[in-house]
Amino acid sequence: MLKRTLFIVMALCLLVVPTSFAQDEPEPVRIAVFTFTSGPAASYGMPGRNAAELLFEQINEEGGLGGIPVEIVFVDEGQGGEAVVTEYRRLASEGVDIMIAALSSGNCLAIAPIAEELEVLTLMWNCDTHQVFEGNEYEYVYRTNSNTIPEFVSGALYLLDQQPDVETVAIINPDYAFGRDAAEIFKATLAVINPEIEVVVELFPQLGAGDYSTEISRLSASRPDAIFSNLWGGDLNTFVSQAEARGLFEQSQMVLALGTSSAENLGDTLPEGVIVGALGNGWFLTPEVQSNPEAVAFIDAYVERYEEYPSFPAFKMTQTIQSLELAVDTAMESNGGTFPTKEEIAAALDGATIETFAGTLQMREDGDGQTDQVWGVTVASDEYDFKVMDQIIRFPADLVSAPPGEPAIEWVSTLSPDILEMIPEPVSMME
Amino acid sequence: MIRKIALAVIAILLCIGLFVFPWMKAVLTVALAKGIVVLGIMLLLRAGQVSLGHGMFVAVSAYAVAFGNEWLGTNEMLLQIPFAVVVSGVVGLVIGLFVARYRYIFFAMLNLAFSMVFFSFLQKSYRLTGGSDGVSVQTPTIAGLSLEAGTYNWVLFFLALALCVGCVLLAFRFFRSAMGQALSALKTNEVRVAYIGISPWRTMVVIYTLSAMLAGLGGSLLAYTTGHVTPELSYWTRSGEYVFIAILGGTTGILGPFMGAMVFEFIRTYASAWLTNAWQLTLGTILLVIILFAQSGIWGLFAPPPPKAKTPEEKRYDVPAAAGD
Amino acid sequence: MDLQLFTLVLLDAVSYAALVFLVAVGLSLIFGVMRVLNVAHGAFYAIGAYTTATFVIWLEGQGASPWLSFPLLLLSAVIVGLVLGPLVEFGLLRRIYEKEEILQLLVTFALFMILEDVQKLVWGVRSYFADTPLQLLGSVEVAGVFYTRYQAMLLPAVAIIVLVGLRFFLRRTLPGKILTVVTEDREMAMALGINAQRVFLLTFTLGTMLAALGGALAAPTSSVSTGIAGEMIVLSFAVAASAGLGQIEGAALTALLIGFGRSLAVYMAPELDAVVPYLIMTAILLFRPQGMFGLPQARRV
Repeated sequence: MLKRTLFIVMALCLLVVPTSFAQDEPEPVRIAVFTFTSGPAASYGMPGRNAAELLFEQINEEGGLGGIPVEIVFVDEGQGGEAVVTEYRRLASEGVDIMIAALSSGNCLAIAPIAEELEVLTLMWNCDTHQVFEGNEYEYVYRTNSNTIPEFVSGALYLLDQQPDVETVAIINPDYAFGRDAAEIFKATLAVINPEIEVVVELFPQLGAGDYSTEISRLSASRPDAIFSNLWGGDLNTFVSQAEARGLFEQSQMVLALGTSSAENLGDTLPEGVIVGALGNGWFLTPEVQSNPEAVAFIDAYVERYEEYPSFPAFKMTQTIQSLELAVDTAMESNGGTFPTKEEIAAALDGATIETFAGTLQMREDGDGQTDQVWGVTVASDEYDFKVMDQIIRFPADLVSAPPGEPAIEWVSTLSPDILEMIPEPVSMME
Repeated sequence: MIRKIALAVIAILLCIGLFVFPWMKAVLTVALAKGIVVLGIMLLLRAGQVSLGHGMFVAVSAYAVAFGNEWLGTNEMLLQIPFAVVVSGVVGLVIGLFVARYRYIFFAMLNLAFSMVFFSFLQKSYRLTGGSDGVSVQTPTIAGLSLEAGTYNWVLFFLALALCVGCVLLAFRFFRSAMGQALSALKTNEVRVAYIGISPWRTMVVIYTLSAMLAGLGGSLLAYTTGHVTPELSYWTRSGEYVFIAILGGTTGILGPFMGAMVFEFIRTYASAWLTNAWQLTLGTILLVIILFAQSGIWGLFAPPPPKAKTPEEKRYDVPAAAGD
Repeated sequence: MDLQLFTLVLLDAVSYAALVFLVAVGLSLIFGVMRVLNVAHGAFYAIGAYTTATFVIWLEGQGASPWLSFPLLLLSAVIVGLVLGPLVEFGLLRRIYEKEEILQLLVTFALFMILEDVQKLVWGVRSYFADTPLQLLGSVEVAGVFYTRYQAMLLPAVAIIVLVGLRFFLRRTLPGKILTVVTEDREMAMALGINAQRVFLLTFTLGTMLAALGGALAAPTSSVSTGIAGEMIVLSFAVAASAGLGQIEGAALTALLIGFGRSLAVYMAPELDAVVPYLIMTAILLFRPQGMFGLPQARRV
């Protein structure tokens, strides 16, 4: 009997506990930040988390967002798509004001319609798939970040600029929107510049596969001139290490779109001469970043706190937070100084030009963002114990982005081969 | 007496909670939907069989809902739900024809195999199913009305509640019917059941199909509640969760699945919010405690004590070594 | 299919199968003797992998000879087996042998869930990468493609040693023979005065060690992170069930078959690679529920 009563009491507690916790009414601005903090993707997701933590702390020290302190809660995208959606709904109904979500393209595609349905201001900080805004008009969804079109058009251009003789190409991308989109765009760009190029293999291993042995055999056996991949996080680390051990880097020119985000993790394992990108302009060793004292101060603070250099996910997070700050300030200037509503923040984001640590972020009328694209080739450095970028080309955002509202892949096929002539000269940061 | 008071108190607390904290209804709707799935698991458990693959039927129907617009040509929930239930029932029947011959570990394994085939298929068919990204579920019309978000969620909650009540009433009647009674006989001694003229195979096919339809009904509600479906629904740990909930709630009472699902969802939601890396630990420990010390589950706390349990000696006689099929 | 392709597919299949076999054979052994389908087996694999990764990374930090990482692989498997095996068997499983099969299965499922979180609490949620042993052995060229010696030679070698060793143990040594007797006919064995509890303890510890060995050997080839337990356990289910639970040599052959099917898919139809193992399992179980090599079991009445 005692046992039974005890159980009943426990069951009651279970119901009461959540209610008592929910009672303290939040006064601060509540912001939920979605990123991967577990699983293989965490090595990519953590810089984003860290940057948010660091920057919001600084904002709170200076009095908060528009004078109101910020309270952040982190949501782990590693729990899987469905849990992320449930968590988003729960947080929205508990009164979270702004969502910075999400890292993964899959999650962004899932969240966008829900954000619109629940009317919650949502800033997509990292995901890039162009599918989000293609054919959809959102009032509450913004992407303070560039999309897959400029990111992978520029990658293909960089490859052809450096290695004009490429004849065969292989692709190995993760099996979801991001990987599939990238493959389409990369192939379409190659086809425009040189229709002779043959794509010999396309592989889409599962996100978080953990082992690429068979895929590497397949890639190696087909002997392509170049291998393009937008694997990322722990997956990229595994792939590079396995591929390096099996001589794939000597065999083919590797193009790793997210290579810079794994450079520090990989250390010596990442060879020299690999084409790497930053999905935007967030590489800490560009002239633009190094000449910006605020950015340098941020990098120093980041290195001191987290004992690693901020890779580009960190920059993507900072440009999102900086956009939010700017939008809140702009809205408060026009409404007389009260903390703006979500509609006012949204209005201020439309068409905004934001000076970020890494360069300029241009918000467009469709809610999407646009930045320059930085690509380079890995090279060893005396100063850092990991590979850094050399031969950096900064592709202007307008050159490689599809105009708002235009079907993306079709736009790519309208490019002219002359675009290679319009690319800026590479710069070196090594001198 | 205490039991009844406790039940009443819980019910009242839930009602208050629901109106004071509207976000609870999302959790409750999910719990009700899962409760229906688990009711299907319980059907099989009554016959002594455990399926490690019922996530598949949840997924089949959730995808049927997500593609309802395309396949059915209508965005009407009251048409989509029956459609999804029929689809998972048909799939259940087809697979049931194969698996109804199997028992115990083989039954569990074969179900696991089927659900994993379906899981991998969903995951790899990017063009067809959106791959691991899944598919968004469009907000449907209900009886021709397009509702705004708040009302829609309330309607969904009450619809789930009504469907639960309906399922419970039907289950009551079913367990009293000849076939329902045959289940426990099937569990204790299959050959004897066959001798009195009931086909164990046919019984298994029927209850398997029924359980698939219940899983389908739950799955369609889950799809509407989350608004997004992914292949994960068919992953084996999901199927394991349903069996888990069945044992947690207790298999003797028809309300067991719903109480189990309620407790499960609350722990999952709050443990994952506050003890980020310990919600599985919490749930696992609770499951162990239930199995080791309170075998009749949560329902057993409220229901009258079951007839005296058999001693191991008595139990052994129930399982003669081997006999012909 | 030309010869080069066949060679490549076979090599990939063998190194993949070697790892899956190590895990599946432990699962199969435990089921054969104890009649418990141990879902937590995948967690032992993961813990073996984490432990190895920790040791290898620690070793790198010590500046000791990297060759020491090989004995460390073995050592971590033994440690995990000796610690977790008896702990789980003695502390938990011993209480449930009298219960229904379903409940036994669920107890191990609960254990699996608990250990999932224990891994996160002990090792955190980041992924570990410890490829020193892989890099040390270098690579070898086969049919124009480089393979790491670790995957192409060491893994299959260990799998063969384990297979032969297990055969020898079960057929030629006394404890092994006792174990076989319990597998064949538990009631008779107990009637003959065999101490079933000791046999169970021994079997479970051995099985745990094999799972941990699988994890230890997998650690250098891939990243160790959350979720690997859940994937490995279904794969080894697939292998063990297709072979017939309790079949040691059968598990080796089935692992090869599933590995071959999967590799072939990567070459011929990449869209199918993840489906193949489960398709094979379903097909086999549909036609031979007791598995390819299992003996038909009379239905209990």
